[in-house]
Amino acid sequence: MLEVTDLQKVYPNGTHALKGVTFSVEKGEFLVIIGLSGSGKSTMLRCLNRLHDPTSGSVKFNDIEVTTLRGQKIRNVRSDIGMIFQHFNLIPRKSVLTNVLSGSLGRQGIWKSVLGIWPEEEKQKAYEYINIVGLEGREHHRADNLSGGQQQRVAIARALMQNPKILLADEPVASLDPATSHSVMEYLKKVNEKLGVTIICNLHFLSLVREYASRVIALKGGKLIYEGDPSEIDQEWFERIYGEEAKEVTIN
Amino acid sequence: MTTEATLAAPKKGLELGMMKNTLLALLIDTFLWGYVALVSYKIIYEKIILALRYPEFSWGQPVYALVIGAIITLPLFFTKCSIGRATRGLYELDENKPIFKEAFTIFGVFIILLTFVAGLLISQVSVREFLSDSGLAGARRIFVSLFQPNLKILDQAIFAAVETIYMAFIATAIALPFAFILGFFAARNLMEGSRIGMMIYTVNRFFLNLTRSIEPLVWAIIFSVWVGIGPFAGMLALMIHSISSLAKLYSEQIENISNGPIEAITATGAHPIQVIWYGVVPQIVLPYLSFTIYRWDINVRMATVIGLVGGGGIGTMLMQYQGLAKWNEVGLLVIVIASVVWIMDYGSSKIRAAIK
Ligand SMILES: Nc1ncnc2c1ncn2[C@@H]1O[C@H](COP(=O)(O)OP(=O)(O)OP(=O)(O)O)[C@@H](O)[C@H]1O
Ligand SMILES: [Mg+2]
Repeated sequence: MLEVTDLQKVYPNGTHALKGVTFSVEKGEFLVIIGLSGSGKSTMLRCLNRLHDPTSGSVKFNDIEVTTLRGQKIRNVRSDIGMIFQHFNLIPRKSVLTNVLSGSLGRQGIWKSVLGIWPEEEKQKAYEYINIVGLEGREHHRADNLSGGQQQRVAIARALMQNPKILLADEPVASLDPATSHSVMEYLKKVNEKLGVTIICNLHFLSLVREYASRVIALKGGKLIYEGDPSEIDQEWFERIYGEEAKEVTIN
Repeated sequence: MTTEATLAAPKKGLELGMMKNTLLALLIDTFLWGYVALVSYKIIYEKIILALRYPEFSWGQPVYALVIGAIITLPLFFTKCSIGRATRGLYELDENKPIFKEAFTIFGVFIILLTFVAGLLISQVSVREFLSDSGLAGARRIFVSLFQPNLKILDQAIFAAVETIYMAFIATAIALPFAFILGFFAARNLMEGSRIGMMIYTVNRFFLNLTRSIEPLVWAIIFSVWVGIGPFAGMLALMIHSISSLAKLYSEQIENISNGPIEAITATGAHPIQVIWYGVVPQIVLPYLSFTIYRWDINVRMATVIGLVGGGGIGTMLMQYQGLAKWNEVGLLVIVIASVVWIMDYGSSKIRAAIK
């Protein structure tokens, strides 16, 4: 469903963040990307939906070449790919409902959405997804007043509003406590299993990786150095990915 | 081979940086010593020794001064009194020695003192005139009349003040949509994506800075020739100045917003207009509102000043009575202006605090 071939990314300041990454993702997978800070994980995800433009290489999404699309065409691809972030990135001062509805912007008329006019069925859907992430009754609360875990759930609902085929998650639990982390990961699992959404997720904690991933790839210095089953990451691989000095920290 | 090359490159860059710094330090020193030479000559020789009231100025003087500066700099550059070397970080400072005991600090303080003395002489500060009998008597006469305001023109004055407030309000209101749109085009983070964007940004910034650096008072004079003396000219002057000031403030606010919501909305496949509306605008409405109210407040004060050159409102009234030396009326107007300014100031700060 997604094929990445020899992807390179050089930032304008000269940082060579991705040095030829190749992998593919099947429908229904829960793929986790691991790697040290600065290894290029966030860059990788952002090249997939063209928040960043890759320097060379190819990204094929359902056989459409994404790297060369422009204008409305790239927006159509983006609307099929949901994304959630470490810092949630909700719209400040707006209600939970508006935040969730904003996930459907890709298919709304520009001027109607600027005036805040949403079709009734979109509102119904938004209520439904707010229910699914367990925030019923909070539709009209300000999103930026919620706790971190709740904000991330709003972000998940917003992404679901897109009817995504793929959900990208950039360290979705890195600013949450262990218990909340698990609850958010459980929601992602539910999205993956019940709604059949393919998930590509950056994670830092190997214990979470072993619990939730169906497959793992590891980046180091912008190169792909590991691809396989989460259970196969033994001490040797761990040291190769994170360096000899590293010790595993668990989260439970 | 490759390691050698990579090692040599930064060293070369370092040397180049050193040379640039030394050159800059030399320039700074030359300029400072030249300044000292010029000011000393003008103050000590012309003002004090020759006691000239209006010393003549010729372009030869600063040039000579710079030459003298360069001559003084050459030997002193390698001692401890080079400010240039100090500011370019070319000294190895003794950590135990307090900085104010360094020769260059003492030289710096000397320059500031010299400037202070020069300033006193240039502003022709004269305690004698300030406290002279006839001068004091005149001042007392005005002060006494000011404190006996003529209440008969109160309704007229209030009417003129209302005119001023409305003029300021209209100027702000008309400036608002222009500034709102120009603000986006003057925000670096929104424009630096493409070449065309950067071009629009640069041109826009240039014109905003240009219009802003011309005082509203000057705009008022221009417009009073253009559309005739009166409130309309004043309003136009305030409007031009408000557009550029507000657009600048707005764009700085946009440059400070967080990128997160913009990324998130872009990722949903939204159109750029939707991205701005949902990703940018919610982050800026309140600061915008607060800037705009503050601007109105400033405009009321400026409208008064602009009135002095015929921009209408209470300023013009003040000008007329002042010209007739009717100090009791002027006293009343001053009180009305002060109250209006105080009320606007108080109200706008309250509103701004409430919407934080
Ligand atoms: N906008 C940017 N401009 C320039 N360089 C960047 C930019 N974003 C990231 N980089 C650089 O690219 C490299 C990869 O960064 P990236 O954010 O993809 O790493 P990461 O694996 O997500 O790290 P982390 O775990 O800390 O989030 C880093 O060296 C980083 O400094
Ligand atoms: Mg990252």
